[in-house]
Amino acid sequence: MTSSLYRVLLRWRRAPMAAAVDLVLLGSVVGLVFAILSLGGEWTHKLRPSVDIQLSPWALPKYAFFSLSRGIIAYCFSLLFTLVYGYWAAKDALAEKILVPLLDILQSVPVLGFMPGLVLALVMLFPSSNMGLELAAVLMIFTGQAWNMTFSFYQSLKALPPDLVEVATVYRFDWKRRFLRLELPYSSMSLIWNSMMSMAGGWFFLMISESFVLGDKDYRLPGLGSYMAAATAKGDVRAMAFAAAAMSLMIVALDQLLWRPVVVWAQKFRAEDSGARETPTSWFLSLLRRSGLLPLVFRFLRRLIPKDPVSRPDASSSSACEGKAAWVSRLLFLLLIALLGAGVWRICAILRMVPALHWRAILGSAGWTLGRVLLSTMLGTLWALPAGLAIGLSPRLSRVFQPVVQVVASFPAPMLFPAVIAALRALGVGLGWGSVLLMLLGTQWYILFNVIAGAMAIPADLLEAAKAYRLTRWERLRGVYGPAVFTYLVTGWVTAAGGAWNASIVAEYVTFKGEVMAAHGLGAQISLAAEKADFPTLAASVVTMSALVVLFNRAVWRRLYALAERRFSLNR
Amino acid sequence: METLITTPTLCEARGVWQVFPQPNGQPLTVLQDVSLAVRPAEVIALLGPSGCGKSTLLRALAGLTPPVRGEVFYHGRPLTGLNPGVGIVFQSFALFPWMTVSENVSVVLRSLGLSPEEVAKRAEATIKTVGLAGFEGAYPRELSGGMKQRVGIARALSINPEMLFLDEPFSQVDALTAESLRAEVLDIWAARDRNPSSIVMVSHDIKEVVYMADRIVVLAANPGKIRTIVENKLPRPRDYRAPDFLALVDRLHEIITGAEMPDEAVPATTTPEAPAAQTVPVRALNAEPLPNASTSEITGLLEYLDARGGQDNIFRVAAETDQEFGKVITVVKAAELLAFVDTPKQTVVMTERGRAFVKASPAERKAVWRLALLDLRLFREVHDYALRRENRAVDRADVLETIALRVPHENSEKVFKTLVRWARYGKLFDYDENSGLLTVRDLK
Repeated sequence: MTSSLYRVLLRWRRAPMAAAVDLVLLGSVVGLVFAILSLGGEWTHKLRPSVDIQLSPWALPKYAFFSLSRGIIAYCFSLLFTLVYGYWAAKDALAEKILVPLLDILQSVPVLGFMPGLVLALVMLFPSSNMGLELAAVLMIFTGQAWNMTFSFYQSLKALPPDLVEVATVYRFDWKRRFLRLELPYSSMSLIWNSMMSMAGGWFFLMISESFVLGDKDYRLPGLGSYMAAATAKGDVRAMAFAAAAMSLMIVALDQLLWRPVVVWAQKFRAEDSGARETPTSWFLSLLRRSGLLPLVFRFLRRLIPKDPVSRPDASSSSACEGKAAWVSRLLFLLLIALLGAGVWRICAILRMVPALHWRAILGSAGWTLGRVLLSTMLGTLWALPAGLAIGLSPRLSRVFQPVVQVVASFPAPMLFPAVIAALRALGVGLGWGSVLLMLLGTQWYILFNVIAGAMAIPADLLEAAKAYRLTRWERLRGVYGPAVFTYLVTGWVTAAGGAWNASIVAEYVTFKGEVMAAHGLGAQISLAAEKADFPTLAASVVTMSALVVLFNRAVWRRLYALAERRFSLNR
Repeated sequence: METLITTPTLCEARGVWQVFPQPNGQPLTVLQDVSLAVRPAEVIALLGPSGCGKSTLLRALAGLTPPVRGEVFYHGRPLTGLNPGVGIVFQSFALFPWMTVSENVSVVLRSLGLSPEEVAKRAEATIKTVGLAGFEGAYPRELSGGMKQRVGIARALSINPEMLFLDEPFSQVDALTAESLRAEVLDIWAARDRNPSSIVMVSHDIKEVVYMADRIVVLAANPGKIRTIVENKLPRPRDYRAPDFLALVDRLHEIITGAEMPDEAVPATTTPEAPAAQTVPVRALNAEPLPNASTSEITGLLEYLDARGGQDNIFRVAAETDQEFGKVITVVKAAELLAFVDTPKQTVVMTERGRAFVKASPAERKAVWRLALLDLRLFREVHDYALRRENRAVDRADVLETIALRVPHENSEKVFKTLVRWARYGKLFDYDENSGLLTVRDLK
């Protein structure tokens, strides 16, 4: 140990840069410990009747850290959930039949509808501390993060290259080695990309749960969301700008300090051999690699954990182990069925209490919301398609704009809601049309993002052919760009529409300066029922919305996907 | 090592059947009643055109896919699960792209439960054996195809297997590298004091199997069964230009053409291990199987023959066009089915119709082609059935069913694809992918 410390000192002597890096690292570790201690204090703090938000910009780092830690804790849960659920669904053919459709439904359930109930229940569970509120926030973010990660992991596991699977079988990898050496590395790339998406999606829910007020009860949590809400309530434009800047800074920092290095590091898990693609770089990772202390820490950690333990290939024990796994899986499956059965039973019992007249009202308002969702998706396409094509087709523009769009897309739209509503009111626009704008605010980026990616993926020879034969602008759009980005556009639509459904709950029903504004729609219906604690109506509305989303996915989006795959796929 | 001497066979398949379900639910028989024994200290090659089940047989022997009927024995005992004495080298290399050369080897050694020191020692030794010393830290993507396959071989050898299974190991490696790899693998095998005792390899390269194998198992396709087993007693090291070598290559050519393109009724070559497998297929109800050849391949073959006086030896066609013989046989069979060529022995001869086709203008070619199609039972049946219907169209599902009924041993999706391609070229049917309708074209 002393000799390695001596080596570190020597390295610092030779490379002052390494010393600087290590100094900064040490400083941040100390800062982190301090911050985590204060976080612990916040979580176990006595439940306050109302939270006092300081609008001084000096308080922002603390609030940003609180918001960030909620997002990261929720992400850890999402990752754990993803690994367990995805693995189970991919390995157990029986459970797969339930787990995959269930995931599809979970993905479509407008979880915001459950938030009031969740908050109340958790606050009752922890009556004396902030724990309940914090857990509610983490759970809300979790529901915004987990599903697409789980889907991606499950799909990767199902798409493992058969020859590699055969190698693992022939050379008798046990399940641990299979998981660590084959399954996890193979799925890591798409899991990381989906994690980035999920983290961005999670902020949307974080902002809402941080600034949650139910009737005259204040359930706000100290964080960026509540800071923004307080600033808007006071009409403090300077503080609003600070909050938006802090949020953007947090997103950029997370991208640069966490995701970028991870993406660069994960390049070694690329499955395909082609070395032609541009490899991403990260200044932060290169800096970390200069550190003298980090290798020491890693070596110490590696000594603690035995790397890749040696397994005893014993036919009898391995088959016994498999037998045990099958039992556990079977047991879990029964438990799942029982839980689902009980849940469905409960919901049916609640739904029976809803009078027929109510149902009609719910279905009518569902039509309105469906219209808004489609309108906002259409409006988003109208501007994002040409803009995305322009950016994606020009290497210069895409270099500049792609990271910008990434950050903007991660920016949680609910943070902007108060400002937009104030502007709408000043212009005399009601929430009926205004809610479309609010929905658009969050979802248009998904369309733009996907169109850019699609335009960048158009093969150069197709573009050259279009140029060489002097296709007119219209011909190019109809014959080349449109078909080539169609698959990506459909992906964008599905994500955007899904987001718009969820957003309708907060966009159609708004409390602004103590005054309630509502549009006629299913989202408003859910929010209103939640506020009045009218559980039958709430359950009926949420079930209706979930059913509509699932139906719409099956009837429209999936068909469009199939069409895109069949007609416009570029790699067939 | 004592066991190697006392037991007569290392591994044996007895009456093995392998049946896989197709997407449309119809079962496809890939192996039919195959029996084969691997003896100690020999190299066996499984030779045959694609689709004859040679890789499937290899996987059955390895215990990767247990047969649906019949049994596999290892040292005389029925095999349950994986064959413990086997290391496999894959056609596609199958290296973990996220591991270095030495990690790719040591990961399988760790699975054996060896101590870390032993793992490191053996990995280093096998990497050296295959000539990769110095490349331990390289990732697969940094290596050429030949190098990658060396890693694959090192990985298989590292577990010290009694039998080395090679699944078309050199088909994705350039010709010169393949040459040296063949010799190196034989050198490793020839060292009698260590494993592998025997090698089982899958190949579609006749010269390769004559160079390497002691016994050559010729398989027939659809369904896959053993046609014959040829003993190769040529002394090693073998010379590609030796008269005995060439004679054996020629004999294999004859066996394959006799099996794949019989002139009338060829007396089946019975084998000691599969005497019951020889039955003349019942043609009465069956339609012709459509070989999976494209129209341009068939026209290409005819142009090729036309430029060489109207006939050529089939293996010379394969050599000159740089194709594997299985592919060329498929194209020749397709042309023969359409009565464009005739195949006495190993020669492909153009017929009157074939000559007429080549001489014709593009438009006339389509007419000739169309007539040739209508001579085929499958096309005629679909055509007549469609004409009896009001919209002159048949649904894809109906056609698939007809194919499954009439050509039971073929992959019906593939046959359908060929049917559509051929029919489009002859302007016989139109096919709309979206509606799945096959419509008879109006000729005006």
